[in-house]
Amino acid sequence: MSEADPGPSEEDDPERLYVITRGRSGPNGETMLDLVTLIVSRSDPTPALQPEHADILRICGSPLSVAEVSAYLRLPVSVVTVLLADLLTQELIEARACVPQAILPDRALLEAVIHGLQKL
Amino acid sequence: MLRAGSSPGGQRSAPVLAWLLPTVVTAAVAVVAASVAPGDARAGVVWFGAVGTAAVAVVAAEAARRGRALAALRRRHAQRESELHHRLARCDAGMIRLARVEVPEAVGRLQRGEFIEDVLKGYRPQDTTDPQFEATRQSVLRSVLEAVDNEEGMRESTQRAFVNIARRVQAIIHRQAQDLREMEHRHGNDPAVFEDLLKLDHGNALVGRLADSISVLGGARPGRQWSRAVGLYSVLRGGMSRILDYQRVELHPVSQVAVVGPAVEPLIHAVAELLDNATRYSPPQTSVHLTAVEVQTGIAIEIEDGGLSLSEEGRARAERMLAEAAAGIDLNDLGETPRLGLAVVGRLSRAYGFQVSLRPSAYGGVRAVLIVPQELITTAPATGRPSGIGIANARRPAGGPRPWGARAVPPSSTGPLRGATLGTVAAPGPADDEAPVVTEWTPNGLPQRRRHAAPSRAAAPRPVSTPAPTQEPVQPGMWLAAFTEGVNGHAPSSGAAGPTNEESAAEGEQ
Repeated sequence: MSEADPGPSEEDDPERLYVITRGRSGPNGETMLDLVTLIVSRSDPTPALQPEHADILRICGSPLSVAEVSAYLRLPVSVVTVLLADLLTQELIEARACVPQAILPDRALLEAVIHGLQKL
Repeated sequence: MLRAGSSPGGQRSAPVLAWLLPTVVTAAVAVVAASVAPGDARAGVVWFGAVGTAAVAVVAAEAARRGRALAALRRRHAQRESELHHRLARCDAGMIRLARVEVPEAVGRLQRGEFIEDVLKGYRPQDTTDPQFEATRQSVLRSVLEAVDNEEGMRESTQRAFVNIARRVQAIIHRQAQDLREMEHRHGNDPAVFEDLLKLDHGNALVGRLADSISVLGGARPGRQWSRAVGLYSVLRGGMSRILDYQRVELHPVSQVAVVGPAVEPLIHAVAELLDNATRYSPPQTSVHLTAVEVQTGIAIEIEDGGLSLSEEGRARAERMLAEAAAGIDLNDLGETPRLGLAVVGRLSRAYGFQVSLRPSAYGGVRAVLIVPQELITTAPATGRPSGIGIANARRPAGGPRPWGARAVPPSSTGPLRGATLGTVAAPGPADDEAPVVTEWTPNGLPQRRRHAAPSRAAAPRPVSTPAPTQEPVQPGMWLAAFTEGVNGHAPSSGAAGPTNEESAAEGEQ
């Protein structure tokens, strides 16, 4: 246990991806999910959830794109899409189209606001 | 010669009497006849009397002599006969001992690895009165032992050959599995290719299980070795990965423990075989329930199916198979039994101390319980490893074997994440304190998870472990991390999320 060094050789796990998705390779039917769709969780993970689902709920506390979720979980996008579709049908997450760049507030402004808040 | 058999005096007087009596009687009759006969006939009577007496004497003497000889012969015969009886009884006893005791014992010793010569030394003749018989006995023993030895040698070399081939297959399967995993990541965006890859991956895993079975039946360990402990949840899902109908298996949340490295592969394999049995012998539309609970002696993994209930007879047969397999298998028997899996499970149980029992299930089918002994279990939470639901934990936030690890960090703060989690892994106890980034603690001692972008209150006085961010490869979402760093440690934590997170963390800890 102590020699748990996260080397690349440590890649393999006993479980295979098809078990995680229960044999599905993509979501059933049409989904609006693409790589840049933003995901936000609507509730906190519960112990009854599959660990991957719980992870998604946890990391999506603030919006993350599908691509990011996939990278964090180190799972292929197809797997993540399946998992997200599950969560969507259970209404545990929300998916939003990506926010256009122009609408994003200025970063400096945000920082200023945060600093201001911290000084309170 | 005739007197050789020393006969007591009493016995001799009878024959003497026997030949004296007729002679005396004849002589007396002759004397009487001579005395009563008229004078001119007396000479003839005396003559005849004498001759008759003599003849009777001779005949009587001869008869007596033959009688004595006969008695002596009879005595000798009886003696001889009793001698032979004795010898026969000895031989019988020897044969019986040879058949019932010595041969099985000697074969047993041979099978335990002793050499023929050593074994034979233990069976030197006890009595030397009959050297020929003893020599024969020895040679019988020797030829039996040699035959057994030959067979054993042949069997061993056959097994070695099997195991050897199985090992090669395993190596190929393992490499292929790794390649497939890479390809799955590479083609993750293309559902069509990805689906095909998953199918290949599944088929590959099935072949791998067969190779593992061969290797186990050949007396070797199942397959690859794990150098690290693996969470029980992952182990169970690993078992699911290796059966055909994994979609029918319902995995329930399990207790938060890990299995020590050396026992991982055997346990995965045993679970896979039991699951295979369960799915194979239950209707295709029913599901198989897989769960694990802590018990006094370790962890009990339960597999219940909704198939036909096992009759008492069937159950006895299955358990007998397990027991036989645990005692060592005759490969000949395996051909007749379609449930190869039980033999494998029995073997693994013997080697690793699992206890397996089959009982009727409440669902109507069979309930298999596999108990993993305590010494093969480590408590994962202490090391920050698997358990609890979800985390984005150390290396593979979710894909993997530590689906839980309740205390890990929200992966978004990636920089600190790795270093911090590593800390917890390396030093279980105090590490909790040293990893403020990983976990913050509420005043009542509960761990508190933080939301994505919220540096912790607890982290504020204790700066984020500095080396971690530098050694961290660039992660997705760095913009967010950078954003966080800009407000390092002083940003307000997302208040709304706090309490609920605590609650869920508390739940997870239970």
